[in-house]
Amino acid sequence: MAEAVSDKIKNYKTAPFDARFPNTNQTRNCFQNYLDFHRCNKALSAKGQEVSPCEWYQKVYKSLCPMSWVSKWDEQIENGSFPGKI
Amino acid sequence: MSSFFGVVAKQIKSHPALIPLFIFISGGATMSVLALTRAALKNPDVSWDHKNNPEPWNQMKPNQQYKLLAVNMDYSKLKKDRPDF
Repeated sequence: MAEAVSDKIKNYKTAPFDARFPNTNQTRNCFQNYLDFHRCNKALSAKGQEVSPCEWYQKVYKSLCPMSWVSKWDEQIENGSFPGKI
Repeated sequence: MSSFFGVVAKQIKSHPALIPLFIFISGGATMSVLALTRAALKNPDVSWDHKNNPEPWNQMKPNQQYKLLAVNMDYSKLKKDRPDF
């Protein structure tokens, strides 16, 4: 599974279709992948595993999200004022 | 409510040409109620139980279709492509 994931990360072109968000409004897709990246980092480092599979979520949210949102959320995480549950 | 159906029955008896109207109106009302209940119960964006199921869209399968009509999207070919954690 780790080899398949790193291959997928290497061959990444753009965010794939996500059945959870089938409509035109992809806002929640962006936010969900941002959350999943941070949750994945937190979960895998708590288990002591490598966090490299989480890079998939980072690639997806970087494809989907406006950069201003990403920088705002990153600032909020540093401040401790991020509203999402991680 | 019984007076409502009494009034309707009287109207139908005196104006039988109104029957298609009642059929279409009741059909439309039924469809809208069904659509609302489907949205309330089946929509993955709706969470009724915040404690046990706070993000129901994450319980979806990767090839599960919620839309009633999906154009140009073959849901049977979708696979899971997100890493687990």
